[in-house]
Amino acid sequence: MDEDRSFRNMFRGYSFISPLIAFILAFVFVPVVGTCIDSLYRDVTFLPRAFIGLGNYLSLASDPGFRQSLRFTVLFVLASVPLELVLGLAFALLLHRPSPWRGALRACVLIPWAVPAAVAGKVFELICNFQYGAANYFVQLLGLADGPVNWLGSAGGAFFALVAGDVWKTAPFVAILFLAGLSAIPEDLYRQAAVDRAGPLQRFARITLPLLRPVIVVSLLFRTIDALRVFDLVFVLTGGGPGGSTTSLSLYGYDAFTSGDFGYGSAVSVVLFLIAFALSVAYVRIGRFGRELS
Amino acid sequence: MTVFCLGPIVYMVLTAMSRRADFLGPGVGFVFTAAHFLEVLRTESLHFPEYFRNSLVVSGISAALSVSMAAPAAYAVTRLAIPGRVAVLFAVLAVSMFPQVSMVSYLFKLMSAMGWINTYATLVLPYTAWTLPLSLWILTSYFSRVPRDIDRAAFIDGCGPLEALRKVIVPVAAPGILSTALLAFIFAFNELLFALMLTTDHRARTIPAGIALFEGLHGEIPWGSVMAAATLTVVPVVALTLAFQRRVVQGLTRGAVKE
Repeated sequence: MDEDRSFRNMFRGYSFISPLIAFILAFVFVPVVGTCIDSLYRDVTFLPRAFIGLGNYLSLASDPGFRQSLRFTVLFVLASVPLELVLGLAFALLLHRPSPWRGALRACVLIPWAVPAAVAGKVFELICNFQYGAANYFVQLLGLADGPVNWLGSAGGAFFALVAGDVWKTAPFVAILFLAGLSAIPEDLYRQAAVDRAGPLQRFARITLPLLRPVIVVSLLFRTIDALRVFDLVFVLTGGGPGGSTTSLSLYGYDAFTSGDFGYGSAVSVVLFLIAFALSVAYVRIGRFGRELS
Repeated sequence: MTVFCLGPIVYMVLTAMSRRADFLGPGVGFVFTAAHFLEVLRTESLHFPEYFRNSLVVSGISAALSVSMAAPAAYAVTRLAIPGRVAVLFAVLAVSMFPQVSMVSYLFKLMSAMGWINTYATLVLPYTAWTLPLSLWILTSYFSRVPRDIDRAAFIDGCGPLEALRKVIVPVAAPGILSTALLAFIFAFNELLFALMLTTDHRARTIPAGIALFEGLHGEIPWGSVMAAATLTVVPVVALTLAFQRRVVQGLTRGAVKE
């Protein structure tokens, strides 16, 4: 009878979870598999569909546009993620200090996170406007450059603008994660350290950083995967320009789709997917989520 | 920190309310006007009110669907015997890392074949699926904190699992359900790539896509109007975030931080 009950229980368990699984299979998993299959075909609008094996991937290998977008995407991740973590940690430390303004400050930090990336992109496009944007206003006010900087018209300036926009939008998110990590550190440890006459720098290096490590690892991988697939900000702020210098892999794939080449765009997407998937496996491994469940 | 976070927002609002976008320039100065807001709301060819409505409806339905499917699943994961439940959770987590671009072309073909392009379904279905991993993880974290004794008591009173979930767990974990729904809503509200690819006109297009393509209508970018539209867009998400600050923070940090 007990066996019968546990069987019924198991059956119930699956019936409870099956709508979720079915939905994810139908609208996430199957589309990804479909994209993988499409990437093996010549699939261009108005042309007959034909199986070409790894043909699209071979074209990718010799496509300077693809290589440029791969290079941009990696550089973007390398530039923005460390900045976001450092700034996020600094914000979290500021927010963690007892202050009568703590609630209001935390609210301020949440705002950039809540703003759609498309809106952030437009606002930063205006900030970077050559003639009257705020960036050039302050650059000239402070005498940082001889004349106005051509932010979006130069490859370096556009890259900088994208990193600035991404850091603005996501450093606050990192700060919120770090703040929760900081609150979980027992106060006693700091009191004990004070008794032992440890300076603030020592306390930070010996207590704060080691105990924050799991949160730092999770944020690092989460941000890396997110920055890797950046689309919204690039699409709106630079459109991939100037001259394709800031086209992310997501945008490169999207551009192929909108120009009607579904096979080629799919191949680009699969490459991006494989990179993200490899990282997400690392994320799950290092994040050690299993512990919380048991 | 405050200047860093709010500076761009203040600049956006000021530009929206300024008669000229170059109000920082020498000898221009700031002159207040509401014309940009009125233009955005009244110019029919801009379709801004429609985009706004579409965004609210699409995100609202997606969030509701997402939570109502994730809640039984989270209940099963934390309460019922499911062989391989950890594998299920990890698989779902891995799915949430998939780049959107790797599903959008297939979704486009699917929605075209079904004739759903420019209907709400074209966005609601992918958004629901796309926010499910997030909802499942947050709800699992909340449900695992609800004491087992509570549902044991419900079982003794003769409740089945579905009843126990509905009458006992959901009320106790209501704050968690609210934060999950809020996050799912905000994620769907802010999404751009699916919205660009799966809609072509004002019948289902959402605001982020509307804003991203704003410049297409005029030659020179009408910054005042763009920023007015941006300001109006930000109002609901920022208002929700601030009103439920604690819930949002809790939802974001559950799963990432083990307390």
